[in-house]
Amino acid sequence: MAQLFDPRIGFYLRLLALAAIAATVAAIAAWRAGTDYHYGLGQSADQPVPFSHKHHVGDDGIDCRFCHASVETSAFAGIPAVSTCMSCHSQLYTSQAALRPLLESMRSAVPLHWERLNNLPDFVYFNHSIHIAKGVGCASCHGRIDTMPLTARTAPLEMQWCLACHRNPEHYLRPKDQVFNLRWRSADQAALGTQLLHDYRIDKRRLADCSVCHR
Amino acid sequence: MSSLNDHRRFDADAARAALRSKRGPALWRSLEELADSEGFLIWLRDQHSSIAEALQLDRRGFLKYMGASLALAGLSGCGRPPRGQIVPYLRTPPGQIEGVPRFFATCVLRAGYAHGVLVQSRMGRPTKIEGNPHHPASLGATDIFGQADILQLWDPDRSQAISHRGDAAARGELDAALLAMTAGFDRDAGAGLRVLTGTVTSPTLSAQLDELLTKYRGARWHVHQPVDAANEFAGAQLAYGRAVSTRLHFERARVVVSLDADFVSDPAGGLRYAHDYAASRLKLDNTASRLYVIESAPSLTGTMADHRLPLRPDDMSRLALQLAKRLGLSVDVPDDTDPERRRWLDALTTDLEANRAASLVVVGPSQEPWMHALGHVLNAALENVGSTIDYCEPVEKRSAAGCTLSDLVAAIDSGCVDTLLMIGCNPVYDAPVDLRIAEALKRVPHVLHLGLYHDESASLAEWHIPMAHVLESWSDARAYDGTASIVQPLIAPLYDGLSAHEVLAQLLGEEVTEPSVRVRRHWCGLLRDDEAWEAALRTGVIAHSTPPPLTAAVRPGFRLAPTLRTSSEDALDLLFRSDPTIGDGTWANNGWLQELPKPLTQLTWDNAALVSPALAARLNLRNGDVVELSLQDRTVRAPIWVMPGQAPQSVTVHLGYGRRRAGRVGDGLGFDAYSLRTTTAPWRSAGLRLRKTGDRYALAATQHHFNVEGRDLVRSGTLQEYLHDPHFATASDRFAGPPPSLYPSHAAGEYTWGMSIDLNSCIGCSACTIACQAENNIPVVGKDQVSRGREMHWIRVDRYYEGSAERPRVYSQPVPCMMCEHAPCEVVCPVGATVHDSEGLNLQVYNRCVGTRFCSNNCPYKVRRFNFLQYVDESAESLKAQRNPEVTVRGRGVMEKCTYCIQRIESAHIDADRDDRRIRDGDVVTACQAVCPTQAIRFGNMADPQSMVARAKASGRSYVMLGELNTRPRTSYLARLRNPHPSLKDEL
Repeated sequence: MAQLFDPRIGFYLRLLALAAIAATVAAIAAWRAGTDYHYGLGQSADQPVPFSHKHHVGDDGIDCRFCHASVETSAFAGIPAVSTCMSCHSQLYTSQAALRPLLESMRSAVPLHWERLNNLPDFVYFNHSIHIAKGVGCASCHGRIDTMPLTARTAPLEMQWCLACHRNPEHYLRPKDQVFNLRWRSADQAALGTQLLHDYRIDKRRLADCSVCHR
Repeated sequence: MSSLNDHRRFDADAARAALRSKRGPALWRSLEELADSEGFLIWLRDQHSSIAEALQLDRRGFLKYMGASLALAGLSGCGRPPRGQIVPYLRTPPGQIEGVPRFFATCVLRAGYAHGVLVQSRMGRPTKIEGNPHHPASLGATDIFGQADILQLWDPDRSQAISHRGDAAARGELDAALLAMTAGFDRDAGAGLRVLTGTVTSPTLSAQLDELLTKYRGARWHVHQPVDAANEFAGAQLAYGRAVSTRLHFERARVVVSLDADFVSDPAGGLRYAHDYAASRLKLDNTASRLYVIESAPSLTGTMADHRLPLRPDDMSRLALQLAKRLGLSVDVPDDTDPERRRWLDALTTDLEANRAASLVVVGPSQEPWMHALGHVLNAALENVGSTIDYCEPVEKRSAAGCTLSDLVAAIDSGCVDTLLMIGCNPVYDAPVDLRIAEALKRVPHVLHLGLYHDESASLAEWHIPMAHVLESWSDARAYDGTASIVQPLIAPLYDGLSAHEVLAQLLGEEVTEPSVRVRRHWCGLLRDDEAWEAALRTGVIAHSTPPPLTAAVRPGFRLAPTLRTSSEDALDLLFRSDPTIGDGTWANNGWLQELPKPLTQLTWDNAALVSPALAARLNLRNGDVVELSLQDRTVRAPIWVMPGQAPQSVTVHLGYGRRRAGRVGDGLGFDAYSLRTTTAPWRSAGLRLRKTGDRYALAATQHHFNVEGRDLVRSGTLQEYLHDPHFATASDRFAGPPPSLYPSHAAGEYTWGMSIDLNSCIGCSACTIACQAENNIPVVGKDQVSRGREMHWIRVDRYYEGSAERPRVYSQPVPCMMCEHAPCEVVCPVGATVHDSEGLNLQVYNRCVGTRFCSNNCPYKVRRFNFLQYVDESAESLKAQRNPEVTVRGRGVMEKCTYCIQRIESAHIDADRDDRRIRDGDVVTACQAVCPTQAIRFGNMADPQSMVARAKASGRSYVMLGELNTRPRTSYLARLRNPHPSLKDEL
């Protein structure tokens, strides 16, 4: 009986398979390059309480440090204790269904479990306090949080993204009294940045050293 | 493994021949190296070729594995951002800043005595222990055990539940049983009640015991501490007619004579003594102190000696008596005939008489009471009392006469013990073997055991109660000089453990109170108000609690009653010592301590029978030979380790091994030396029989690892040489200053970090190694990996011998990363995983490392460590809580090394930059520097000429290792100085 397939068919099949793999890889690469999805940008998480920064910061004008109390002194900005929330919410909106988990947490002494949006790998040692002290505004990394009804991530937090600032911090520095002002914009960042770099005595030589962030 | 050991053959004749032919400084690390046997070279080669043989690959296989690993590596890069949860407090505790570690002053206990510590707490999690600078026994340092306490707290093998005859029981059942027992005691005044504890220095616990003995008149309290100071108290009783505690002041002593006293390792005051002794050596002029050590078993103190004489115990006693006679005491002893000992006696006599009130005779705990009495009399005769030595009321609570462990066993035998409560002790393992305590316990109707582990004694008890760790409980304790401190908890008991106070309170029928209340009530006299109480908690010391010196006068009519024996030439002595790294066995389940190379032997994970080279040559013994050690009808099998400097005809065995129920780490390691130890001879037994079995045992010693082939690494000289030429240490260097280099220099950064290690102060205690392990999340690898040379310690303590095998000089040299400015490791890394930063630190970037190990190969100092396997235990939950979150936990296939504690540098940087100031000298303290009892390690900014490290490096004694390689190390050393007596040869 004659052979059903040409002897060369095996070769074509392999070529086809190779082409399919190459096409898949190219498609994934193109998708990664074209979208922010894999960074989680603009996506919020299911939180135990649908907390709105827009309401608390944008509308009520509460300072960042009221809740994130250790941001100027610690690596960790601090997530408010339930008792901090209760300083207002023992009186306000106590009947709202959305606040029920908060009241329940206080009553049962089981703390809330918030989903983390901005998380770094364990080998990266980020410190909030030094960024605040050297005039990096909250908005530079966290975006216009005062406009977000549900909090979302706004920065990719890749090493490349960190280095963009660590190599040229002058593009991002702001006066110390404007660090917590989310609406602040500089009229002439080039001149201001160079001046602040000098004023803050930032040693640019070591900012891109591995040891600054990795230990 | 056995073949590996077979190569470690020691040829004594070859060693002697080698020594004769050598001139100038000749350092050696082991007897095999001294003999330069061919087997040693083969062994050394094997050590490094074992990896290549492990995986036989052809070209195709290699390409396949490479392709697969590349593809997998690519896949792992496609992950989503890491997720996680944040769980905030309900109410933030006062004073807590989230993410900032806090330190609390408390104490850890060593043989019952307090060492003041500051415990780092990260969000409620104790993670690291530092010494407390305010505490007299610590002065900011800790010993290896103080560091390892943190691992013990988080040890997953700790006892976690109450058990009744081996079955888990509820707290309610225990309470009911205790209630029934106390009802019985109320009826018969506690006639059958016995309490057994270790050494007690806690004033609150003493008061509770007194209360118990008052309430139940028939009850008795017994003390059992396997390695104790009983001989010292008995000696004081002889000389002064009363028990006193002795406090030594080495900083005032110019001549110290140690009779088998390893005072730098003393559990109670060793840290302070080491500090004071090192301080007395700092002045490099004719007022520097001189140390004579006469000992049978080599010790750390012996390595520090200017003159060391290894003697058998009987000869030592005789020499001490002859010295007393020379100093004018009426002692009936014939003069020595040995010319060398006569020279020694001459030198000792002139030195001691020339330094009245500034000398010190120290007698070790292994010496018989009359020797201690002799020491007291000598110190009194030399007018040292009140100057270099003083006395105070006994710091530890003394039990009434007739309340030893032997008395307890006698009472059990006579049937009058009904209930025995054991608190924090393990007599079934560590009691003298002639007491047959395990059999005795079976005759006691009710045995209760309160302990950290479900150990040998717990397994024979009716009730076992998990004990709260010292970092989990409220208590108090006294230091070696009597200063009291409050012990405060860092964390609530992890496994609902109870403290001794709580169990005794329950026996006393007290109402359950907050545990701190009991301690506070006890101290209401000295700590009247909240302010005083909080000050005591904050500083870690109770002000004005140090007992005043006693005026002790030698008893009128005191006659020294020496018991001198003359042992024959062939007779063998067996000497018992507690293990240098796992103590009396309490620490057997601690992986850090098991893997720490024991100072002097460099053994890990095992104990051995230490014999002198002469004895080994005579009996044809070599390292790893298994012998039978027999005393009367008792026998143990032990591997041999030939110990240079060991007194002839004596065999040292270390207690603490051969545990049967220590836990997963400590079970079944080594041999049990307690099985030869009896009540009458706790320190030394004459009449040892030693028989070679012909078997071999593989010992894992690190002494050949990272061998640097006999280069000029340790430098030393005499004080006279130094005064003649302060730059003697660098006189033989080929280049003055760094030679020219083809490599470009790195631009200087804002700071220039550097380290200086003073070999004159280093006592070789290895606390730096353990502190580094605790700080930097360094894993434990196990005996098999150690024997392949894969231990992970970032700072090792090398031990070098110089001179003859019978009486060598010993040097200890801590070796961290040299942080070379022209680092050989950096230029060979294909992926840039080891790079220089702008402040001159040589960094290791774990995430870039692909594990080629080229860097390690090219490192002349052999300080790089590779994760050959997944060494870090990622499964045990409690161990995760111990780790330092500021340091990356390294996985398999990654190179690592000392970082100069980069996390501490960065945290100081951030603090200084935040406040817009420069980092001050002393702001960055590396873990090894912080723990060092003698402050041998200095670290700081070399560019600042006023910094401590720059001043140390400016000394004439400063030298760098292998400077001729032009690596320009940032770590440098200060040469060791000896201060020999002019009439005694500075002999080897």
